[in-house]
Amino acid sequence: MDKLVNGIARGVFVFLYIPIVAVIVYSFNASGSSSNFEGLSLKWYAELFQDGQLLSTLRTSAIVAVITATVATAIAVMFALGSARYRGRGKGLYLAAIALPLIVPEIVLGVALLSVFSSAKIPLGVPTLVLGHLIVALPLATLVVISAAAMLDPSLPEAATDLGCTPWQTFTKVYLPLLRPSVIAAWLLSFTTSFSNIVMSTFLSGVGSTTLPLKIYSSLKTGITPSINALGALLILLTLVIVLTVGVNQMRRILVDSRS
Amino acid sequence: MTATTVVRKVHTVTSVTRAIHLKGKEKPPRGAFGLMLPGLIAVALLALAPLFIVARNSFAVADNYGGITGGFTLDNYAKLLDPVYSKTFLFSIGLALLNTVICLVIGYLTSYYIVSRPEGKQGFLLLLVIIPFWTDFLVRTFAWITILGSGGPLAGVLGIFGISGFSLIPSNVAVFLGLLYSFLPTAIFPIYASMRSIDGSLKEAATDLGCSWWGVHRRVILPLSKPGILGAALLTFIPTMGVFVIPVLLGGGKDPLIGNVIVTLYTEFRNQPMGAAVSMVLLVLMFISMALIGLALRKPKPKGA
Repeated sequence: MDKLVNGIARGVFVFLYIPIVAVIVYSFNASGSSSNFEGLSLKWYAELFQDGQLLSTLRTSAIVAVITATVATAIAVMFALGSARYRGRGKGLYLAAIALPLIVPEIVLGVALLSVFSSAKIPLGVPTLVLGHLIVALPLATLVVISAAAMLDPSLPEAATDLGCTPWQTFTKVYLPLLRPSVIAAWLLSFTTSFSNIVMSTFLSGVGSTTLPLKIYSSLKTGITPSINALGALLILLTLVIVLTVGVNQMRRILVDSRS
Repeated sequence: MTATTVVRKVHTVTSVTRAIHLKGKEKPPRGAFGLMLPGLIAVALLALAPLFIVARNSFAVADNYGGITGGFTLDNYAKLLDPVYSKTFLFSIGLALLNTVICLVIGYLTSYYIVSRPEGKQGFLLLLVIIPFWTDFLVRTFAWITILGSGGPLAGVLGIFGISGFSLIPSNVAVFLGLLYSFLPTAIFPIYASMRSIDGSLKEAATDLGCSWWGVHRRVILPLSKPGILGAALLTFIPTMGVFVIPVLLGGGKDPLIGNVIVTLYTEFRNQPMGAAVSMVLLVLMFISMALIGLALRKPKPKGA
């Protein structure tokens, strides 16, 4: 039986990489159609960088993702440091509250925020996108930092104070260096969460604030083009860089250990 | 680096400080709640309050433009019984159940495979699951258009056997494959997490006591990885119904999921009260499945190991 399981599992790993390999291979296909392969070419990549519309949506996505990741990480670090030191009641409740947006279907959170913005007559644009992306990125960023902050010695702040550190110095000279890997991980994962978000953006983007995934989605509705494969290959590369920067051990702690 | 020297210094003082403070009475750290406050406010303002507004809107009367006029009515929910909606609900629940069951079975087997490897290799295998998990959702979806569509590699292979004009785009098979592909990594992580904490000697003991392969799984590994399996079920079942990109791109929009209905009601028909009612159905289904899972975890069957 174990042999059968091994066979199935190997099949799963192949299955997981078929689409990734297909996107990369077809992005270099000189032929415009997927039915014939006419040798390697970089022309679809060149085409991407001449598409002004695409580049402007890329800019919007990058701006939204940088703001979202920075704000989410800042709030996450504060929350993690607070919860590591908090001894009062209701800690479990606060932790559940911060994780809530992970469990509620994202689409419901999206329409909920849209309802708020439309009844408050807030025009949709980059700020509403940031708020929407923030609420999906925040629980993730918080989980990342919490698991690292919980391992710190609880008497660190007192020791730092005894050495003459002000609370701000305690943060910048003690906590920040110790938490640096998890802070970087939280920022990067919030960044990709925002950058690739399609659900929140569907409801919260306004005229002139189309994000890159929205642009890809609308052009896919009319059919797939080879330059979309080139774009996909670049996004796969971005994922690879981010995953490897965060590192396997930290990823494992985030995705596996925080669930057990 | 000054920071590292400070950290090192602080670490040495830490042990001394702790010894001193342990003697005196424990002083509650100041400002801990204040640090948690921004996060809690963000969740309250950007998730909780908006969800209450959706709940309220689902009982509201719509004006001619689909806006909210206030009032109280159950009409929005009554309209959900219309076959247009009820068919979508049943289809969504059915497809989500199918996707969940298959994700759990394959996720279980894959997790078991990973756990059975030596520790050093587990990290690498996990990395192989993590990369597709973090890959852009749209890229993961549109890749299947190329693979399954006309002129794709699959059609090419079938063409050799004389089957021409083959294309699985659009089809429900493609939708199913797309959903499976999207949620499989999500299902693997929690199951693997549960399995990893199982004492390896339990399996050996069960085998020594005469348990077959099936017996070891049924009586030891399966019951002990129940929390992970149920967690994976929750992370697969509800989100599957909220997906709207996959049915459009891979299924041609013929058989919508609940997610498609919500998007259409909000962005095309601009009927907010109806959209809110459909969203509430998804939310209620989420609470039901969470309650069921809570119940399943409370009563562990004693017939395990």
